[in-house]
Amino acid sequence: MNDDLMIDVQDLQHAYTHAGVVEPVLHGLDLQVRRGEFVVIMGPSGCGKTTLLNILGLMLSPTCAGSFRLAGQDVRGLSDAARTRLRREAIGFVFQRFNLLPTISVRQNVALPLRLRPPRRSAVDGQVDRLIGQVGLAECARKKPGQLSVGQQQRVAIARAVVGEPALLLADEPTGNLDSANAAGILELLSDFHRRLGQTVVMITHNEQLAVAADRILRMRDGRFVD
Amino acid sequence: MFVLAWANLTHHKLRTLLSALAVGIGIMLLLVSRGLASGSLAEVNERMQNVDAELIILPAQDNIIFTNGAPFRASHERHLQRLSDERGPLAAAVIPVFFGQVQMGGQQQRLFGVDPEQMKLFLGPRRVLAGKLFDRAAAFAERVRAGVLPPANVGEPGHAEYLADGLELVIDERLQRVGGYGLGAEIQIMGQVFRIVGVVETGVAGRVFAPLPTLREIVVAGEPSASMYFIKLRPDLDPRRAADTFQQQFASDVRVELKTEYGHLLRESFASVNLYLTASSGVALAACFLFILLTVYTMVIEHTREIGILKALGVTRLGLVRLSVLEALLISGGGVAIGIVLAFAARGLITWLKPLLTVDLAASHLLLAVLIGLVGGTASALYPGYRAARLDPAFALSNE
Repeated sequence: MNDDLMIDVQDLQHAYTHAGVVEPVLHGLDLQVRRGEFVVIMGPSGCGKTTLLNILGLMLSPTCAGSFRLAGQDVRGLSDAARTRLRREAIGFVFQRFNLLPTISVRQNVALPLRLRPPRRSAVDGQVDRLIGQVGLAECARKKPGQLSVGQQQRVAIARAVVGEPALLLADEPTGNLDSANAAGILELLSDFHRRLGQTVVMITHNEQLAVAADRILRMRDGRFVD
Repeated sequence: MFVLAWANLTHHKLRTLLSALAVGIGIMLLLVSRGLASGSLAEVNERMQNVDAELIILPAQDNIIFTNGAPFRASHERHLQRLSDERGPLAAAVIPVFFGQVQMGGQQQRLFGVDPEQMKLFLGPRRVLAGKLFDRAAAFAERVRAGVLPPANVGEPGHAEYLADGLELVIDERLQRVGGYGLGAEIQIMGQVFRIVGVVETGVAGRVFAPLPTLREIVVAGEPSASMYFIKLRPDLDPRRAADTFQQQFASDVRVELKTEYGHLLRESFASVNLYLTASSGVALAACFLFILLTVYTMVIEHTREIGILKALGVTRLGLVRLSVLEALLISGGGVAIGIVLAFAARGLITWLKPLLTVDLAASHLLLAVLIGLVGGTASALYPGYRAARLDPAFALSNE
């Protein structure tokens, strides 16, 4: 066991079953990511990147794994409640489609991860406002996500993902819906938070230009990492 | 979570409002039907308690709300009189009442046939506001007591003249005000034309009084029948023991009760109607809570992706159930508030349209409505909450 590893996965396999037909997606992946490392995973559509990210984010249980440790903790066989708690306390998500809650304001969206942690409630307001300012949306704090541009929405999503200072940030095509200017801005924001907060970042992208920010680039094809 | 629940509801304002309104209507139905029943029964009981007597004697099997006619015969009356004459052991007064029906003030009223001589026992400290208490009718009653028989049967020549003095009515002030009746107003009862001769303060046992001998003559050809009796005991007697003694004097077809038990007897007689009213309102209310269930369930289906987001952020299964419950409670809470407002509005409308009805919106009933809202709201959210909690986060996030 290596305490320096944020992610330590060996022989990770996953298959989906549709109408009785088993479709293998991940074929015995091995992945080790050090704490504070920025890793980019690239690969064609359907190669299993999002499935891998969902498994790493504890939103999907792998069909089989020789070893699966997050921050030194073996997460195989964890109960749903324990996986939920670990997700809440240690993992932040940034999605391609932003996935903001449309009925509440920017401020309330960003504050949500902190609201789910009652002991830190007193610090919520200042922390949230500071972070919204850092992503350049101070004047939009009271707006609903639907009133923002797509670039602004992704900034809010990043603010929400990092507000709880999770040890692991998972980003699934965070620039996939953005133009190049906005994409560069988002990457800069992610890199900036990574540098300042020392978080481990695993990002999926198709964009070779964005991969330059990474410490390491992994390529996937047909459910396997390729050299 | 409250912020999120509130935001989800206000995002669909019309649907939320309709759901709350549905609950509100159900709550209003429940409150008004119960309020109408309990208010009317309480008011009738309160008036009966004002009769200057301690016991009531009733037919054992009779429903005291819907009873009519005169099951007590001359033998009962003679037996009671023997117990109550000057040497009698128990009663200071036997007070027969003969019930009839009369349409006044826009609704059916129970007509109290009472002996003019005993009218003061019904009046107690209440004042005569206008006219007199049976003037000519008292003389008619005296003639009947003296044994003067009618010259012919009802409807035959000579009978109308015999009965003329007895065709008097006394009404209470509330009925007089609602019906706009003046002294001398004529009221048709059982083919005879009665005249209002007096108005008394509200609070007497009945709203309409007629002379007992007159009703007996019209309905049972002068037989000394009665629908029930009040018994005024000698002051030195214990009412409970006296009631037991009276009961022993009669067969099992006669029931002797303390007058203070009249309210209980009323509720007992009304139990089946009350059950029907409660069941009807309950079914209506259950349908309303199904409406909430449908609303919250629809929200779960519509917000599948948002549920996935919440799961990704680390909201527990219990947290999602709580969110559904909170949404349902907000709807049902709003529904209860609407229902209470509607109930007060309905009470105003009912008492405006039917001023003689009493709708009692007691604090206990309002509290019951709040409890029903809490329980119903929680129950109707459990299944949608369970569905939300069971959603797979990765599947929910991929939902379009």
